[in-house]
Amino acid sequence: MNYKTAIEIRDAIKSGETTATAVVKYYLDKIKAEDGKVGAFLETFDEEALARAEEIDALVKAGAELGRLAGVPIAVKDNILIKGHTASAGSKILADYTAVYDATVITRLREAGAIFIGRTNMDEFGMGSSTETSAYQKTHNPWNLDKIPGGSSGGSVAAVAAGFVPVALGSDTGGSIRQPASLCGVVGMKPTYGRVSRYGLIALASSLDQIGPLCHTAEDAALVLEIMAGKDANDMTTLENSEVAISELLKKDVKGLKIGVPKEFFETGIDPEIEKVVRKAIDVLVEGGAEVIDISLPLTEYALPAYYIIQPGEAASNLARFDGMRYGTRAEGGLQESYKTARGEGFGMEVKRRIMIGNYILSAGYADAYYKKALAVRTAIHTDLAEALKSVDVIIGPTSPSVAWNINEKFNDPVAMYLSDIYTTSANIAGIPSISVPCGFVNDLPVGLQIMAGIGEDYKVIDVASAYQDATDWNTFADNKNEAK
Amino acid sequence: MGNIEFDVKKIAALAKMSLTDEELAVFEKDMPSIMAYISKLQEVDTSNVEAKEYLMETENVYRADEIKAVSEADRQALINEFPKKTGDALEVPAVFE
Repeated sequence: MNYKTAIEIRDAIKSGETTATAVVKYYLDKIKAEDGKVGAFLETFDEEALARAEEIDALVKAGAELGRLAGVPIAVKDNILIKGHTASAGSKILADYTAVYDATVITRLREAGAIFIGRTNMDEFGMGSSTETSAYQKTHNPWNLDKIPGGSSGGSVAAVAAGFVPVALGSDTGGSIRQPASLCGVVGMKPTYGRVSRYGLIALASSLDQIGPLCHTAEDAALVLEIMAGKDANDMTTLENSEVAISELLKKDVKGLKIGVPKEFFETGIDPEIEKVVRKAIDVLVEGGAEVIDISLPLTEYALPAYYIIQPGEAASNLARFDGMRYGTRAEGGLQESYKTARGEGFGMEVKRRIMIGNYILSAGYADAYYKKALAVRTAIHTDLAEALKSVDVIIGPTSPSVAWNINEKFNDPVAMYLSDIYTTSANIAGIPSISVPCGFVNDLPVGLQIMAGIGEDYKVIDVASAYQDATDWNTFADNKNEAK
Repeated sequence: MGNIEFDVKKIAALAKMSLTDEELAVFEKDMPSIMAYISKLQEVDTSNVEAKEYLMETENVYRADEIKAVSEADRQALINEFPKKTGDALEVPAVFE
């Protein structure tokens, strides 16, 4: 297989160099042969994907107009609904749930010719940073199978990193796309809050959740994002004028770009080797003509504790609907007993932990001290970032304070696990776009560079990521290393 | 904010969620350190900051209150998800004894 990106695959199918059927067969065979040791997929949609590929090939033969993702296989995180398929959000409580409608992103990607190839493993309801809280299986980091892939979109990320798909969908509430993308050496983007419809995404924290692409190049991220983006009558938080043709705007030129580098992103518990790699990456942009401005975001250390109030608060409310009454497994007994058993047996430990935190901080007498306080801190963090972004174009730093750690290493230490999202939660808290792009290695494990910009400036973070990828070969290197594995 | 009391059993009951003895023990051990971590927020002075629920302006989306047709296949798909049913109706435990 000579094509690695969505754009290459699409163009090769369009020109007749290859067929959608050959592409889908290649990936399905690869998944079958290699996913046993990675554990990225919960299920593949072999028959359906091949039937869809034949349809695309028929369109090519007939000379019909093709969608912008015609024939491109996409893996989908298990919390995004595809009509007729199980969507379990990595939880036992939804083991038997079949989606009865398509998420808006699925409808839009399908119309563009994408082929959904399977659903991927994830931390239960997105609660986790290592994909170890899934009720089904552990996913391994394709770079080193003893390591976690990060999370919660660990299955989608591992699928892209292992070369099982060119593109996968993830969701990011506090870093769930960018942190695993960093740990597995792929590009992962969280769009501006409201850029992409959340209709059909199983909600974790509704004021923070965004669906975004995982892929190898910033250009692929631009393409997939612009197809998914835009106002949706089924999600009142989607933004007006959000249908931006990002791929047409890419300048790939950082001359004169003002990069804000916050000192707080290099203070709290960062691996010094990661700091070196990230500073070197910033130097690459400086060589391209960008200017570095040292900035301070003094509230950075409060983004994570604010997140661990807002997110469990919203999650406890969102997950109240899972009680085995209308779908799922009904537990025996009277109403109260049935609720307690269905939820007690259906939810795993981390989900229960967050429901407990959420119910506590929202309970009478505590809501002002915790929840309202967290909302005020969020407003303050947003103001700080907006202020900083008046004097710089983008803010750049590390995506994660560490490289991938050993499976089970942090599993029983929730606070240590939560701290792995220390640099990613700010973007969710403030609603701004952020991308992670591979920028090197520490101990043979990938490191990610995080690029953030103001609300609505999704094209800007992609443009800088794209310029960085043009100037470096980390991405090519990652692919080669994977092929060699 | 002083001592953090976290009554695990009471909160689990509010969440209508049974816990195993093992989970109970783990949470009784974990919760104080998690609450201590998130209580860091009390250090931030927010006396002049508004506690906004959404950062961006949002408007309610309205539509006419009209019945929309659902295909028989979609209706059946929804009914198929019912864990217990009588005919096409969802069966639930009695709410009032």
